[in-house]
Amino acid sequence: MSKEDEGEGQTENDEEIIGYRQQPGKIPFSRPGSGGRDRFSESIDSKMIPVSQGGSLEQPWGPHKHDELVSGRVIGKPTALVDSSWKVTGQAHYGDDVRLPGELIGRIVRSPHHYARVLSIDCSKAIELPGVIAVATGADAKNRFGVLPVTKDEHAMAVEKVRHAGDLVACVAAIDESTAREAERLIEIEYEILEPIHDMRKGLEDSEEPIHDRGNYHIGESNVQKRVFQEFGNIAGMTQSSIASHKKNWLFAGVNHGFTEPHAVVANWNPTGRLTLYTPQQVPHYLHRALADVLEIPMHQINVHRTFVGGGFGGKSDPFPHEMCAAILARKSGRPVRITFDREEVYWVNRGRHPSIIEMNLHADEKGRICGIETDALIDGGAFASFGHVTTYYNGVLHTAPYEIGAFHYTGARVWTNKPASGAMRGHGAVNSRCAVEVGLDDLAEDLSVDPITLRLANLLPPHSATITGFRVTSIGMRECLERVKRESDWDKKFRNLPLGKGIGIGCGFFISGSGLPIHWDPNKFPHATVHLMVDMDGGVTVHTGAADLGQGSDTVVAQSVAEVLGLPLDMIRIKSRDSDTSPVDLGSYSSRVTFMNANAAISAAMQIRDNLIDATVEITGAERNGLVIGDRRIFLKDDPAVGVSYLEALHKAQEDRGALVSSGAYRTPPMGRTHKGAAAGLAPAYSFSAYVAEVTVDVETGQTKVDKVWAAHDCGKALNPLAVKGQIIGSCHMGMGQVLSEEMRYGRNGNLMNPDLLDYKIPSVHEMPEVIPIIVESNDPEGPFGAKEAGEGPLLPILPAVCNAVYDAIGIRTSELPMTPEKVFKMIEKRCKTEGVSDPTDLECPSLEYSELQSILEKRSVEHAIRDRERRLDEGRGEYYNGALFGLDPSVPPDEVDLRWEVRVTPDEEYLSSPRLAGSAWKHTERRHLEDAK
Amino acid sequence: MKMPPFRVLSPKSLDEALQMSRELYESGEDFDWVAGGTDLLPNYKWHINVKSHVISLSSIPELRELSGNHIGAMVSINDLAKDTTTHPVLAKAANSIASVLIRKSGTVGGNICLDTRCYWVNQSETWRESIDWCHKCDCGTEADCRVIPNQNTLCVATYQADLAPVLMCLDATIHLASPNGARSLPLCEFFELDGMTRNVLGSGELVTHITIPEDSAEWGGDYQKLRQRATWDFPEAGVAVLWKGKSSSGPTSLRVATTGLESIPSLHLDEAKEALSKWNGAETVEELAESIRKAVKPVQNTWFSPPYRRKMVKVLTKRACRDLLVS
Repeated sequence: MSKEDEGEGQTENDEEIIGYRQQPGKIPFSRPGSGGRDRFSESIDSKMIPVSQGGSLEQPWGPHKHDELVSGRVIGKPTALVDSSWKVTGQAHYGDDVRLPGELIGRIVRSPHHYARVLSIDCSKAIELPGVIAVATGADAKNRFGVLPVTKDEHAMAVEKVRHAGDLVACVAAIDESTAREAERLIEIEYEILEPIHDMRKGLEDSEEPIHDRGNYHIGESNVQKRVFQEFGNIAGMTQSSIASHKKNWLFAGVNHGFTEPHAVVANWNPTGRLTLYTPQQVPHYLHRALADVLEIPMHQINVHRTFVGGGFGGKSDPFPHEMCAAILARKSGRPVRITFDREEVYWVNRGRHPSIIEMNLHADEKGRICGIETDALIDGGAFASFGHVTTYYNGVLHTAPYEIGAFHYTGARVWTNKPASGAMRGHGAVNSRCAVEVGLDDLAEDLSVDPITLRLANLLPPHSATITGFRVTSIGMRECLERVKRESDWDKKFRNLPLGKGIGIGCGFFISGSGLPIHWDPNKFPHATVHLMVDMDGGVTVHTGAADLGQGSDTVVAQSVAEVLGLPLDMIRIKSRDSDTSPVDLGSYSSRVTFMNANAAISAAMQIRDNLIDATVEITGAERNGLVIGDRRIFLKDDPAVGVSYLEALHKAQEDRGALVSSGAYRTPPMGRTHKGAAAGLAPAYSFSAYVAEVTVDVETGQTKVDKVWAAHDCGKALNPLAVKGQIIGSCHMGMGQVLSEEMRYGRNGNLMNPDLLDYKIPSVHEMPEVIPIIVESNDPEGPFGAKEAGEGPLLPILPAVCNAVYDAIGIRTSELPMTPEKVFKMIEKRCKTEGVSDPTDLECPSLEYSELQSILEKRSVEHAIRDRERRLDEGRGEYYNGALFGLDPSVPPDEVDLRWEVRVTPDEEYLSSPRLAGSAWKHTERRHLEDAK
Repeated sequence: MKMPPFRVLSPKSLDEALQMSRELYESGEDFDWVAGGTDLLPNYKWHINVKSHVISLSSIPELRELSGNHIGAMVSINDLAKDTTTHPVLAKAANSIASVLIRKSGTVGGNICLDTRCYWVNQSETWRESIDWCHKCDCGTEADCRVIPNQNTLCVATYQADLAPVLMCLDATIHLASPNGARSLPLCEFFELDGMTRNVLGSGELVTHITIPEDSAEWGGDYQKLRQRATWDFPEAGVAVLWKGKSSSGPTSLRVATTGLESIPSLHLDEAKEALSKWNGAETVEELAESIRKAVKPVQNTWFSPPYRRKMVKVLTKRACRDLLVS
């Protein structure tokens, strides 16, 4: 704008404004500048602007609906997490760092018995101990809670029974820890010991005293908490047409998240009777609901304050009894109460991955198609339901992709046992059965004498298709993942060609990018994520979000999304995500939903502010609205950048007569999926895909396995922050390696957890860590924020089977038990030596491979499919593609609608029940409410 | 996790330390010596056999001497591992202990006197209560051993320290001091087969130093250990093999010792003697390794199972002998 223009503007204003104002001739107010630290705006880096917007950022997967929002500022650039400086300078306050004046220390009295009825609790001696301020028992809070509304089976403390050693019985608050510990010992509890169950197989049987009683919904008199039966596709055809089959009975030990920070909580009631609970929670909202239920106060009287979370991985996503205890003790004592766990208590509250017995059957036909998968999964839930309802489904439905399959039969059951409760852990429910499938495919390839990567490449679902279970899959980068790791690992040269003890293996993964349906089935169309923005005259943007940052970088991704849309540097974004008082409801950090849902909500909120700024710019400059773009703190005409205003000028204009700009953006998943029972489990607005190649060395004399190198390709749609994505991939390798090689919750002969400490629970050290080459594949998801999908859980899945398959390549043994400790590997080597009559294991031969005719058929098909996939992903007018087309069915209709053999079944028939598989035998029981009908 | 309260005494000389121990003994007070604390303090946090007093040896300069064949009890494991005068096999064993942080705090004396370990005792108080305690820390209940039930006379907790087998093979002498005077004895006579008494130390007695014979430089050998992870973990089995006068007709002297398998480390004199008497290269090593496997009797109280640990002793023995077969 020229000086003259300004003058003219003032003349106009002179006429409009009546009353006192700045006198003519005085120095005018200075221009506000651009905002931000740097006085000068940076010019737009065209390398960061997509081709669709005239930039030079290639888009091999086509344009994206968010392209026009790209300002080239932060999305796609390696970015340090916005809360990292707090952590590296030691100023981040975790659960146990919260110190309130007058705080008391709470301790929990735990059951020494695995299963017992609590007959009486005498707290009189404890309460008389000087320094003890409050004592509470189950009688103080009788309402049930649980993370899933359908299975609320937990109490703050035992109300009638204790269900595992370490279960909560009572709690005390005292002036210091020593006094609290002394008081613990003074509480006298009388138990009637009941017969415990430790073996999950026993949980399938009727019991005199089931661990829980679900009333009319109880399944027989058993300890079966949840059972699933599902059949899709041509079940009868699967064995008829198979020329090769794989069958393996797996045993997976339970594993714990092993996060750094043990649970810690501080509760404080303020003088007006409101509760603030400080806790490192992944899912503050469900805790908020549970607190209201248990404490019998309305939700608006509670503020859940999420502290920094020292790692969660699913282990801090349930509402926990100790959180209730702290609130109860604080209410009773009238003082803040802090409870911090010992590591042992972390294992007792657990919620780690389920110990599982999985039977995996795979069938391949003469064309090398996967004509059937039959899975039976019995999972050990421990003492409580937790997320188990969902886990039971996930063990099946999450391995119906990325492959196109001819039939899928799944039976699953989750049982209660007298152990610490299992729950959700990174890769929730998908990890164990995925490992079994991928090892099975390796075995099938061996049987068919084909390359296992080729076998996979020739059987992938195309982009924008539906799985056999009816999941709507949008973007798929599976093929690219496989091709990249194959090339970069030099697979063709190494596979089946390495010397004894050296091996290479492949594994793939598929995971949800956000659970399609919320846990709480509210009748209204509540959003899954909501983000509020507030921009005042200083130009900084305050973001209110309820997404819980547990180190995965959710604060950063929201900040990035807002900064990108508004063209601002990251330091102008202030994230307020801690208090439920000020944060809009977010469902929490589980099911890898945060980036997808919360960033979408943030983008939607930022778009409204962006509109306000552009309107203001039009008003100031008179420029054509459609021609305006946002760059670094400047809004200007794309074709004539000289015409424009700074961010602050536009902002101040937009604030006239209104003050701070505020906006609210929300995200809810689109309607999708099918309608059979359980159809919602595993449904997600997008899915991530990954393929890893692992190279290992096995010491054939000791069975020790060392993972040397991992090529890890993950399709995250779009790496909003490549640094964080790589971190997730490398971290996932570490975590998955623990489960495959050394980590297990080991129970002794009398059911005690033998290793509830970090010395005996063997998390791999830096010495065990291989070199990991993260490979990011960007499939540009149409609904993801800027094309992004998840990268937090999916990357864990492939490392387990990749290592298992590499061990086979190295020494020709296939494990069916995880972790494959040196001891177990050695046993298998010994067995192989015995079978083959070899006395020295160093004389064993490695597996070899000579291609059958099928190899070239598969290669041809994968080339054809690669072309099909490329066309589908770019063609907006693409038709439907339902799983089944590979088997000759019409891709445009769900197969069960045209072929009776493909009918969906969710309950077993008499024939199945006459000889069920292990978990399937849970269906032999009748639910109590149907007992009358049965008679 | 909080330790129960105890008093720490910090003597400045050995005499003062012994004086303190005498006074505590006479007033009927119980105490533990603490050197690096990396073994004692975790046990205290677990409330395992906690004493009312702890005498810290960290301010006694005379226990820190490290020169050639004299190793003070308070020499840190890291210093021992890095010192150029340390026997190479001893340095290797030292350098494999736990992690670098623990090696910097942990001491040679502490490692030799390391408390025995067992799944059933190295647990919190609540945990141990849930199994009705055990023989090693029975809290006055006279509880049975949980590894070998129905007996409460012998504790079978496992000795999992790395230095002892190498020092035994080097024929080290251990020097002790108590208010009643000093004494010295061969290291292999120091240990007593019981997971609770563990060694011959009398009440108020402590280890001052270790000496190694002058000819130690003439001994070659190796130390091999078994564990899940390459750091942190205690040895699930450890084998030291040392020899002198290596030639194509075998060594002139040979010693084999093991750790991590029983309540004490063992020097396998008979097995080594047998091997020497009919030396025939690789074949003898195979036989020797098999005889060591047969000689050890691990129990189920650590990470790996006894059968695996025994089988691995054989592999480790062979590996420790590898250099012996290279001419």
